[in-house]
Amino acid sequence: MSDQRVGVGTSGRNVAGEAPAEEPDAVTDDATVHDDDVELERTIGLVGGLAIGIGTMIGAGIFVFPGLAAANAGPAAALSFAIGGVIALLVALPTSELATAMPRSGGGYYFISRGMGTAYGAIVGLGLWLGLVFASAFYLVGLGHYATAVLAEVGVALSFDPVVAIGLLFGAGLTALSIGGTENTAKLQNGVVGVLLVVLTGFLSYGVLDAVGVFGGGAVPETFFSRGHFPVLTTAALVFTSYLGFAQVATVAGEIKRPSRNLPLAMVGSVLVVAAFYVVTIFVATSAFGADRLGRFGETAMVEVAREFLGLPGAIAILGAGLLATFSSANASILSASRAVYALSRDALLPRRASEINLRYGTPHVALLAAGGPILVLVATGQVELLAEVASFLHLIMYGLICVVMIVLRRRDPTWYAPSYRVPGYPVVPGVGALASFGLIAFMQPASIGVGVAVMITSYLWYRYYAADVTLKGAVRQ
Amino acid sequence: MTDRPSILVPIRVLEGESIPEGVPELLANAHVVLLGYHVIPEQTAPGQARMQFEERANQRLDEYEAMLAEAGATTERRLVFTRDGGKTIDRTIREEDCLAVLVPNATGPPEDVLVAVRGAVGVDRLARVVAGLFGDTDASVTLYHVAGEGETDDDVRTLLDGVVARLTDLGTDASAIETRIEHDRGALDAIVDAADPFDAVVMGESDPSLATFVFGMPADKVAERFLGPVLVVQREPATGDDER
Repeated sequence: MSDQRVGVGTSGRNVAGEAPAEEPDAVTDDATVHDDDVELERTIGLVGGLAIGIGTMIGAGIFVFPGLAAANAGPAAALSFAIGGVIALLVALPTSELATAMPRSGGGYYFISRGMGTAYGAIVGLGLWLGLVFASAFYLVGLGHYATAVLAEVGVALSFDPVVAIGLLFGAGLTALSIGGTENTAKLQNGVVGVLLVVLTGFLSYGVLDAVGVFGGGAVPETFFSRGHFPVLTTAALVFTSYLGFAQVATVAGEIKRPSRNLPLAMVGSVLVVAAFYVVTIFVATSAFGADRLGRFGETAMVEVAREFLGLPGAIAILGAGLLATFSSANASILSASRAVYALSRDALLPRRASEINLRYGTPHVALLAAGGPILVLVATGQVELLAEVASFLHLIMYGLICVVMIVLRRRDPTWYAPSYRVPGYPVVPGVGALASFGLIAFMQPASIGVGVAVMITSYLWYRYYAADVTLKGAVRQ
Repeated sequence: MTDRPSILVPIRVLEGESIPEGVPELLANAHVVLLGYHVIPEQTAPGQARMQFEERANQRLDEYEAMLAEAGATTERRLVFTRDGGKTIDRTIREEDCLAVLVPNATGPPEDVLVAVRGAVGVDRLARVVAGLFGDTDASVTLYHVAGEGETDDDVRTLLDGVVARLTDLGTDASAIETRIEHDRGALDAIVDAADPFDAVVMGESDPSLATFVFGMPADKVAERFLGPVLVVQREPATGDDER
């Protein structure tokens, strides 16, 4: 059993006079150990870690984006997804190294606050919380589109467009469910991910065979770069939201068993699995219809693709899968956002009250409301692309900084920094990862960049006001 | 004085479970590993629960530790926040090398103890627990075996005599030991019925078969139906055990 000592110390107090909770003494394969024999058991295995990563990611890229992406980039949208996957991989590798050196909950926020100090930590931490809020809102709007399509399929006609209303309903429902203490949500999540992967594999296998002409038409009719080269990059920036899940594995790093082995495998593995599904999906979808028609189908384009291949049963299967996938992504993001609030409150960057646990249900009701409340406000806007891009923006800032932190820590090499997994190709991999993350931001819409920057500035000002005296940076303890 | 056997006492410390009456006396000669644990839902980070509940849980454990120490036991304690109580208990057994786990129930002063002997396997650990806890006391020990099909009385007597010999080797007074053999019954029901007049039951951990996987461990079922404390002697830890 590896028994790793911990050397990070915190100090200072916030405006309310609260100090950051003290750091643990050691981490082992099975537990995080605090002073006088208090332990936090690690209970999530490799399968659970993979399910968190894949379950958060698999929704958006397949069930919401194909139509939007094809409209922007043509068949080359597949390349956009591939670019997103490569960037995600370039970030997942350094994140893995940091996570094995600091297998504590909080993910990117934890690494950056301990590696680069409180100001960066506050910007990233508050950004992570709000980034997840934007992401959840985006998934819920996607869920609304699918539920609306289901209603249309069964012939229910409504006098108004129910997308936003359904998103709000599910957002409120999920928050209430988490506060009420649902049992076995993780097992449910594993099951959902399994079913999704089976449905998608069957559907995509059929689609690929059809597209390459084993049976059916076998048409890949258009030129690949039908919209030119530049939209490939802007589309990559848009669809990057599809890859936000792998870092969620790091936010529960403190609960993963055998972190030095399972964390890298879960993060890198989930990115590879999801990227493969995305690229194949776009290939199948664009070869079924051509990008123009696909683009006109909007958020539920995949339903039409399934209908084209397999008729009504196919459409129903994909509708069901789409509901499950967007539901699971939204649920995972709400829980992650609540974890981010806890991490911030533990470090005295938000009031301690924010991580208070409900005595009746044992759940962190304040943190969950701090996730669910803002989500509802954002769902009400119904802006799919803007929500997705702001979520991407805030995460990309964090991802870029994760790569930077890794380089900083390797150079500074404090005694406590002893990762059991080391990134191959240092410093090229994290360097390119940082450049790619920051670079992708340049291809976003100005409005998304504006909202993202405003969130960052507000986060910094909050830190200056509320917790200017708090020090989280890892000190070298001798 | 014999070696103190290390006994794990798991307590769901924040849910009103406590050390029942009679248990400190029962474990007076033991080295008690007191495990306070708290099971939290998935929405809650373990660290979050710790921030809020650590102090209260530690106060309770302080009390329990004092009760055990007063009775004469040596103690060691841990507090764990977990999502999976079973995993925590198994891990603690492994890390602290515990001979047995106590399923705590209230009891009188331990005068009569029923020891269910399943077979030759694990007899050594069983004997160490029994001799360690009751060898120096006035308690009488009844060795009990439910004969299976094709098992003659002679076989059983050889088995039980072996256990008696082991116990006397370890310093138990031979006059305090009785033996009893039961026939033609389901072992579980037989043990529960026989246990009724006794103050405590010591039994071995059963093999993890499909039936125990589905219906729960027999030891737990005995503990559920017999209202006194049950000591479940753990199997020898497998060497080179590489999990997952």
